Amino acid sequence: MQSSHSASAPGGAKLAAHFASLDVQKHAARLGMWLFLATEILLFAGLFACYAAYRFLFPEAWAASSRSLDLLMGSINTIVLITSSFTAAMAVHYAKEGKNKLVGHMFFLTLLMAGAFLVIKYFEYKHKFHIGTLPGRYYFYDGIQVPGAPMFFTVYFASTALHAFHVIIGMTVLAIIMVRAYRKGDFGPNNYTAVELGSMYWHLVDLVWIFLFPMLYLV
Amino acid sequence: MQEHHGAGRYVAIWLILSVLTVVTVLTGRMHLPSFGLLLALVIASVKGTLVALYFMHLSEHRGANRLVFGVSIFFVVLLISFVLMDFGTRFRLANPPGSQYSDLQAVDIGANKAEGRFGGNTHEKQDHEKHE
Repeated sequence: MQSSHSASAPGGAKLAAHFASLDVQKHAARLGMWLFLATEILLFAGLFACYAAYRFLFPEAWAASSRSLDLLMGSINTIVLITSSFTAAMAVHYAKEGKNKLVGHMFFLTLLMAGAFLVIKYFEYKHKFHIGTLPGRYYFYDGIQVPGAPMFFTVYFASTALHAFHVIIGMTVLAIIMVRAYRKGDFGPNNYTAVELGSMYWHLVDLVWIFLFPMLYLV
Repeated sequence: MQEHHGAGRYVAIWLILSVLTVVTVLTGRMHLPSFGLLLALVIASVKGTLVALYFMHLSEHRGANRLVFGVSIFFVVLLISFVLMDFGTRFRLANPPGSQYSDLQAVDIGANKAEGRFGGNTHEKQDHEKHE
């Protein structure tokens, strides 16, 4: 079928020698991404289990601590992240049509909203450091003195910080793909795997937040 | 090749997700006593399913991808339910003091900035003592 290690197929996609066809290669990449996302889901599952255990033991502390969070900021962040997920999905849509400029624009909007998410998160964190709703021994908030309240904030900071770390990784991945869409512009109907997988990672970040939001803000 | 849809489908999913977010915030603010968290988790699951099926294209992907995703969700449920079963069936004294399922009082439930939970921030404490 081919003499060298890789051959250029129409649309710019490279077919590696060990795959029978571009279609097989694409499915393998996609399955690999799903396997990776499964490990990511299980990573967050540990924190979800931690949350479940302590909410079961300290329901009053959970309710009181949850009400001390800024619901407006949390809700705005949820809408921001869902909208950024939407623009990431639109990037895949345009990549399949070969509209590279629009792919870049969509990822640019996604990055903009990701940045807004982190800024809002920063203000929430800052407020907590100020009033003292901090994990474990660093807790010094007089407003809620119930057993278990510092544990809520341990779970809060552990899960939101891990999530924010994923936001930063996702932003890096999407920025690289955005630059490629603007500079090289080689995405098309036969070559959109990078856009699709990058976008899938971003949807996972959104997916985790969809569960974290009611768990932390709406107890 | 994968099916290609118009952009309208993504707009529709985005609108549904936004509406569900508003619904979950409104019902969450009512602080429904018994089924509040359950309702919030059901809404979150619906939103998560929509994201996985349409934004992540799981509805069009091959069976193996669905299997991987489904199994990972199953393991999450398994992990959480076994943790809860453990805490729910424990001998009362084995639960942390101060918790709902313990008869013991919490030893120290936290204090002011100077005291902290376990002696607090030492710098603050020294300052506090100096002022006294």
